[in-house]
Amino acid sequence: MNRWMNMNYLIRLFCLRWAVLLGVSILTAQANESLQLLPDQIHLKGEEAFQRLMVVSKQDGIARGEVKVQSWKSSNGSVALVDSEGILRARRDGKAIITAITDQGEASINVTVSDQDQLEEWSFDRHILPVMAKAGCNQGACHGALAGKGGFRLSLRGYDPESDHYNITREALGRRIEMMAPERSLMLTKPTMAVQHKGGKRLDPHSRNYRILSEWIAQGAIPPQKDEARLKRVEVLPAHSILRKGDKQRLIVRAHYGDGRVEDVTDWAKFTSVNERVAGVDENTGTIDVTGHGEGAVSVWFSSQVVIARVTSPYENDLPESEFAKQPLRNFIDQINLDQMKQLRLLPSPRSGDAEFIRRVYLDVIGRLPVPDETKEFLSSTDTNKRDHLIDRLLSSEAFVDYWSYRWSDVFLVSSRSLRPKPLQSYYQWIRENVRKNTPWDEWVGEVLTAQGDSVERGETNFYALHQDPETMAENVSQAFLSLSINCAKCHNHPLEKWTNDQYYGFANLFARVRAKGWGGDARSGDGVRTLYVEERGDLIQPRTGKPQPPAPLDAEPLDVTEASDRRIRLAEWVTSPENPYFTRSVVNRIWAAFFGLGLVEPVDDLRVSNPASNEALLEALSDFLIERNYDLKALMRVVLQSETYQRSSRVLPENREDSRYFSRYFPRRLMAEILQDAIASITDVANVYDQLVLTDGSREKTELYPQGTRALELFDASVSSYFLNTFGRNERAITCECERSNQPSMVQVLHLSNGDAVNDKLRNEKGRIKKLMDADLPTETMIDQAFLWCLCRYPTEQERASYLDIFEETEPNQLRTATEDLFWSLMTCREFLFQH
Amino acid sequence: MLDFLADKHAPLCGGSHLKRREFLQVGALGAVGLSLPQLLAAKQKGAVSKDRENRSCIMIFNLGGPSHVDLWDMKPDAAREVRGPFKPIRTKSPDIDISEILPRHAQIADKFSLVRSVHHSGAAVHDAGWQILQTGRRFTGGIQTPHAGAVVSYLRGRKTDLPPFVVLPELMGRGGGNLPNGQAGGFLGKAHDPFALMADPSKKNFKVPDLLPPDQIGAGRLERRRKMRDIVEQTFTDFEASEDARLMDDNFQAAYRMMTSEQARSAFDLAKEPQKVRERYGMNRFGQCCLLARRLVESGVRFVTINTFLTVFDETTWDIHGSKPFTSITGMRDIVAPMYDQAYSALIEDLFQRGLLDDTMVTCLSEFGRTPKVNPAGGRDHWPQCFTVSFAGGGVQGGRVIGASDPIGGFPAERPVEPADIVATIFHSLGIDHEGHLPGPSGRPFPLVDVGRHPIQELFA
Repeated sequence: MNRWMNMNYLIRLFCLRWAVLLGVSILTAQANESLQLLPDQIHLKGEEAFQRLMVVSKQDGIARGEVKVQSWKSSNGSVALVDSEGILRARRDGKAIITAITDQGEASINVTVSDQDQLEEWSFDRHILPVMAKAGCNQGACHGALAGKGGFRLSLRGYDPESDHYNITREALGRRIEMMAPERSLMLTKPTMAVQHKGGKRLDPHSRNYRILSEWIAQGAIPPQKDEARLKRVEVLPAHSILRKGDKQRLIVRAHYGDGRVEDVTDWAKFTSVNERVAGVDENTGTIDVTGHGEGAVSVWFSSQVVIARVTSPYENDLPESEFAKQPLRNFIDQINLDQMKQLRLLPSPRSGDAEFIRRVYLDVIGRLPVPDETKEFLSSTDTNKRDHLIDRLLSSEAFVDYWSYRWSDVFLVSSRSLRPKPLQSYYQWIRENVRKNTPWDEWVGEVLTAQGDSVERGETNFYALHQDPETMAENVSQAFLSLSINCAKCHNHPLEKWTNDQYYGFANLFARVRAKGWGGDARSGDGVRTLYVEERGDLIQPRTGKPQPPAPLDAEPLDVTEASDRRIRLAEWVTSPENPYFTRSVVNRIWAAFFGLGLVEPVDDLRVSNPASNEALLEALSDFLIERNYDLKALMRVVLQSETYQRSSRVLPENREDSRYFSRYFPRRLMAEILQDAIASITDVANVYDQLVLTDGSREKTELYPQGTRALELFDASVSSYFLNTFGRNERAITCECERSNQPSMVQVLHLSNGDAVNDKLRNEKGRIKKLMDADLPTETMIDQAFLWCLCRYPTEQERASYLDIFEETEPNQLRTATEDLFWSLMTCREFLFQH
Repeated sequence: MLDFLADKHAPLCGGSHLKRREFLQVGALGAVGLSLPQLLAAKQKGAVSKDRENRSCIMIFNLGGPSHVDLWDMKPDAAREVRGPFKPIRTKSPDIDISEILPRHAQIADKFSLVRSVHHSGAAVHDAGWQILQTGRRFTGGIQTPHAGAVVSYLRGRKTDLPPFVVLPELMGRGGGNLPNGQAGGFLGKAHDPFALMADPSKKNFKVPDLLPPDQIGAGRLERRRKMRDIVEQTFTDFEASEDARLMDDNFQAAYRMMTSEQARSAFDLAKEPQKVRERYGMNRFGQCCLLARRLVESGVRFVTINTFLTVFDETTWDIHGSKPFTSITGMRDIVAPMYDQAYSALIEDLFQRGLLDDTMVTCLSEFGRTPKVNPAGGRDHWPQCFTVSFAGGGVQGGRVIGASDPIGGFPAERPVEPADIVATIFHSLGIDHEGHLPGPSGRPFPLVDVGRHPIQELFA
């Protein structure tokens, strides 16, 4: 069974639902309303089979909330019947039509019933473990703890069925089960509190769960079967609903097994809200409670698989269709974004002005402010395509290489904390070369994954020198190129995700044969010249089994353990395959976040299934675009930069004030630390000095790698000492994580701008811009204009100019210099300067 | 209740912002679609008691997770691999025995009490414990709950020109688990993040970075700069919809207030302390942070968190796994414990002698304790199932032991205490009703601590 299909199925499912929406107004589509009975296909197999039913009203294919059922009808009551709770139960083999009667009309489905005469046995994997997981027996706080609890140990949420079965049936002198008298088994007397149980009452003796456990014991406590049909996928219904704040919505969870059997496992699923601000969920029953506006989701966990149910809750803005019809559309991004605007009832802000745009696009594409001449030229240009032309010019500039090499160095963890100067430089140069050539992202990543050779001649080999054990290599590859954190699965199945402990070791084993002469020891010693090579044998042991886990990319078929060729070749093929949704989505989301300050998925590098994008259809469309363009990153950047969505003003409208995630306007964000420091240096024309490194142990070391005039963005090492960069939050590059970079404002930053040397010393400098402007003896008005152009990339408004002139008029002639310094200071500490907007 | 600053905003409903005073009235008015029950508003009104308005809290966070069995919950009768290398000694309290590596603690044991039955069910990784202990909760559903100090900052506001909530010497660094560390305002907004010192007060030329303008910028220029900056700030009003931008402005106001305040400057000036006092605390980062914390509390800071260490990597800390790159048990004996013993005892004595102890709660927490059994490397590993937390001052009666662990310190045997109870205890000491509510995400009322968790009353009265 190809698991990718599974993944793709889920993702495509969203898109299908979005696609249905395209071009159809949800505001006027009353005509498309219908009732639907869920689930829409039912086959009850075996005497224990049952299915919970519900009726939802649908509009344009999307559920709009549950409809109360007044009564149920069965066309053949001797085959199947629905009880008053809406639960369908089998009676004998045959077919029946089930009809729900509501005050809005009727809805029906066909039901097939079979295998009513087959004797059934409870399965350890399919029934016993889910019962125990739901009761909480194997959770981390109870017997699922590493050390177990009260002498009884289970694997966390059932990742190790074999040893769980052993511990239940063989340990404690076999007292945990009594086959001849199941009711005396500790497995039943403890959780029902018939005997003392520190975990309290977890099981009702009159419940179905109790009956299942006791019948399983009576049937002989059958162990997990190797040939049993595996869980193929978990389905949640309704998968997407549009609801209003205050609404409630039940969920149905179904498990699909390899033998075609489908079971209602709603009672055994665990529900967690992904975004409590929009929709909460009752952990036990799975009833959604809509608490706010926006896109919400509930993550559903069953038997180590995760699916999500999405909820859209429109904002309370009264917007006529005509407001959307007149919105400009440049490309597919705008169309998909506008669909979401309509659905959420958010009004897009108008297009940005030219001054706003030039500043924004310079900062986002090349990481610096335009200088006054560039601004003036752009503002006065009458070229109707001037924005497109500017985008193209910036994308092909040398400054683009500086800025994006820096950004990718964050991902590749370029830092002298773990690399010596020569390999460090070579690693950075390798990144620069790829940025300059605009190497397709799949080739680029393929090259680093299969890197071999000398650490100075082949810069990319240093990726493996950062972390020299297979586990951390695996974790870094997964985090950097797939935006997946698999660390939890190192010790147990990932509690919130589908990654299992076996998958983790299978994945890590792909790196088990990567070696280099001279690895190990203190990263600070020697010249760091190493040769990376791949051994022909050697495996990583899965500690749970004591055997090597067959090497396998996450989610793919394992490789032959005995095969001597470099396993990383297969790895690279798998990672960079267009079939691998994480790979493309990961890089798309990083680039989107670089331009908008906010990813479609947040946190930016967290692509868990249970962390859906704020606009799944858009992320999918952008990924398809990148695949179609063969991973040409500049093509992706261009299409994003050209979109109306990117070019929107940051001006707030009453109808989008509450939006902080869906891009109805451009969201202001504080400038990145390095960009800010460079901007101050460029405005004042006084360069920064970078001549010290801070090593891992806090000690300092002189460096001559950065000549006078080096910009912060040209530093290729995060351990260059800089109070400014630390205070404003640069990426430490210790681990691959966007969380390492912080753009949050703080009082410490304000104090540094106000009182520190970062701005003040540069303003006073006798060789800097202020001195030169003073020497030019400009009229005060021109000086004010110059200051605005340098700092804010625009002319002052009439009022601003007048207010500044007033202050200058009160100034003594011998104070003109300090007043000019203060003019620049005020412009370099105002929010319009400190923020990208 | 009436001391709230009117210019402070609390984020509600992801964008619409109410002044806090207005928030309290929302229940009655039912404004902006927040149907906040009146009950809540009433609760809010009684939530903060006037008579303990002056109380402060110093939270010492022992990064790394001290070994309770080797320090304050010793098991001399247990097997050798449990009891470890140290012996208990008698103290000033008949109920407390303490480790021989904390001799000065013994002298002041009548001033502090120990809770020996603390446990939590979060993962045994540093960052998970950091967030659970400091906020009383594990972060779930995308909601980051606020540090206890941020809650105090929100409910009480600033008392003087100094910020209400300060972290010394820096915010926590990496813990290896890649999780938020709980030292922030969380859903209350970044406006309630702590002011982090970002400097080592034991350094010779210690001063708060950039607290004062350079010499050439006198009062006249300071005023001119402010006037000029106001001109541009007025043009661009759209920033008000961005939380970060609003916060930047708040920071400018707060910074201006602090840098023009004589009181604030003086509070951070350790040179005003006699050398003897400084030495009593210990001439190291942690010791001088404890001294600075006392000065800040004296000057009106409501909540000070001292991070004993900055991270568990590349430092000698409480994280005594025994093997490199972590700390060994002898490292704890020779370096960590003496430093800690000296500074903590100095702080408690000093607060007591100055008559400040009754109004200052000092609590020492950690993310977890350590394994009852010594590991093959001669160290102990992470153990959140049972550990010890101490309290002194702020109404706490000293010399008591609350709760007990089992014979090997593995699990609570009596009166299990959860992190939420600890946070509730801090609120209780400060006169804040732990059953009150905060405006949570989407403006929903959010209990200060989880329902059912209560202050440890046995510490008081």
